[in-house]
Amino acid sequence: MAPNETGLQLRWSVLYGASRGLPVSAFGGVGEPNATRFKAIGLPGARAQLTLVLVIAFIWSVVALDVPGGLVHSGGIDALGEITSAFFTPDLSTDLLGTVIGDAWTTLAFAVAGMTLAIAVGVPLGVLASGVLQTGGLQRLGVMAGARSLLALFRSIHEIVWAVLFVAAFGLSPAAGVLAIGVPYAGILGRILAERLQDAPQEPLDALRTSGASETEVLFYGRVPSAAADVVSYAFYRLECAVRAAAVLSFVGLGGLGLRITTALDDLAFERMWTAVFALVLIVVGIDLWSALVRRRLLR
Amino acid sequence: MNSLIRRRPFFVGSSLFLLFLVAASWARVFAQDTGGPGLLSTEAWRRAGDFMADLAGASESGSPAFAQWDAWRDALRLAGDTMVMSVLAAGMAAAGALATVAFASSNLAGRGWVGGRLLVAVVRAVYVLTRAVPELVWALIVVFILTPGILAGAVALAIHNFGVLGRLGAEIVEDIDEAPIASLKSSGAGRVQLLFYGVLPQVLPQFVTFLLYRWEVIVRTSVVVGLVAVAGLGYELRLDLAFFRYTDVALLLIVYVLLVWATDLVSIALRRLAR
Repeated sequence: MAPNETGLQLRWSVLYGASRGLPVSAFGGVGEPNATRFKAIGLPGARAQLTLVLVIAFIWSVVALDVPGGLVHSGGIDALGEITSAFFTPDLSTDLLGTVIGDAWTTLAFAVAGMTLAIAVGVPLGVLASGVLQTGGLQRLGVMAGARSLLALFRSIHEIVWAVLFVAAFGLSPAAGVLAIGVPYAGILGRILAERLQDAPQEPLDALRTSGASETEVLFYGRVPSAAADVVSYAFYRLECAVRAAAVLSFVGLGGLGLRITTALDDLAFERMWTAVFALVLIVVGIDLWSALVRRRLLR
Repeated sequence: MNSLIRRRPFFVGSSLFLLFLVAASWARVFAQDTGGPGLLSTEAWRRAGDFMADLAGASESGSPAFAQWDAWRDALRLAGDTMVMSVLAAGMAAAGALATVAFASSNLAGRGWVGGRLLVAVVRAVYVLTRAVPELVWALIVVFILTPGILAGAVALAIHNFGVLGRLGAEIVEDIDEAPIASLKSSGAGRVQLLFYGVLPQVLPQFVTFLLYRWEVIVRTSVVVGLVAVAGLGYELRLDLAFFRYTDVALLLIVYVLLVWATDLVSIALRRLAR
C-alpha cells in the first residue's frame, strides 16, 4: 500500500491506518471507488452482521454490569459541582504556576527519554522484523519471526503495567520510568516501521535494483523515503502518548504533573488539579502542532 | 532529496531543537532522585533478577498460583470483568462521539454563520481536553463522583476515548464526498435527513474500524484503570504486588496477555466484516 499522500495536515486517520489490517486507502479516499463508499445505506450482509454483533456486545456489557453499592456516591453530585466550577476558576497563582512548569518539564523529559529508548530499540528490531535486508531462506524467516514475537510481547503489556513491574523489580528508580515507556513503545514503533518498509511501492525499488543497488541501498534510498512521513507522524503521535504515560508514571514515584494532580485531589483542591491538567493539554497541543508542521513538509 | 534541501531551514531548526530536547531530557532523567537505586547501578539489575525469579516461584513454598486450577478460575472471572468494562467504555465513547461529531466538523456545522464556527471550536476544544488527560487521571476524578467499580472504570476510559474517537470522526466527516449530500439537498432533504442518508452511511464503516481498533487499546488500558477503579484484573494485580504474592502476579500477567491477544484476534475478525 502506498503511503497516503493526500493529507497535508496531520491526519490521525492516516496514523491509525498505518497498522496493517486497516484499509489505509479508504481513509484518505485514495483508490477507493465511490461505488463502494455509498452502498452502506442498506447495510448489506457483512455490515449488518457486524452492527448486530456490536450492539449485542454493548447490551451484554450493560446487563453484565453489577452495581452492588449504587451508581453514585453519597457526596458524588456535590463533588461533580465542585469539580465543574473549579474548571472555570483554575488556580493561577505565581507560586503554583512555577511549580507546575517544573512538573511539566519533568513529565516531558521522561516522555522524550522513553521515546529515544523506544526508537533506539524499535528501529533495529523493526528493520529485522520487516525482513527487507535478508534475501530468502530459513534464516530470514527465523529472524523475522523472532523480531516479530519480541515486538509483540513488548507491546502486549500496557506501559503502566510495565511501570508497576519495573518498580517492583528495580525499586523507585528513574530507569523504571524510562523503560516503562521505552519497552512498549519500541514494540509499537517497530511494528509500524516493519509494515511501512514492507509496503513500499515496488516499482521504484525494482528500478534501484536494476541500476545495481544492494538491498541496504534499496532500504535507504527506496523504502525509507516512502515510509518516512507516516513513521515520523506516528512517532510524534507516540510522543504525545508518552507524555500522557509519563504524567501517569508519577504515580510510581517519578514526580511530574501526575503527582501534582494526585496531591491536589488528595487535598480536594480541584482548582490546582485543573491547572496541572491544563499544562498537560498545552504540551499535547504543542506536540500536535509541531507534528503537523513536520508532516506537511515531509509530504510536500 | 533535492526537495529536502529546499526545506532546509525548517528541518535544521526542528532537528536542532529535537537534539537539544533529547539531551536536556536525559540530563533531567539522570538528575531525578527517587530515593531508589540509580539508573544504571548493579543494585537495580540484581533486584530485577530476583524479581524475575520470584515471579517463577523461587520465594514461595507450595505450588505456584499459575499451576492451580482455582487460581486460574478466579483470574479468568476477573478477566471477564475487565472485558465488560472495556465493551461498556467503547460503547459509551462511540455513542458520545457519534452524537457530537457533526458539530465538530467544519464542513457540516461550521459553514457560513459565526455561531457554527464557534460551535466547531468549542466541541473540538472539548475533544482536546478529554483526550489530553490520560484514562488513569480521569479514573481518579471519576471515583470522586461514582462508586468505584466496573462502571467508574468504564466511564473514565470512555471520557478519554470520546476525545480520541471524536477527533477521528471529525476528520472522516471532513473528508466525505459532498456530491450525494448536494443531490439530497436539491431533492429537498432536511438537516436530519442529510445526516442519516448523506453523512452517516459514508462515515460509519471507517468509524467502526477505528472503534474496533480503539477497543483493543481500551482492553489493554482497562487493566490500568482497574488499579484505581477497584475492578477487574488491575486491582487484583495491585493487591498481589502489595502482598508479595509473586506467582499470582505472574498468573495475572499471563491471563492479561492472553486477553489482549484474544481481543486482537476478535477485533481483526470483526474489522474484516466492516470492509
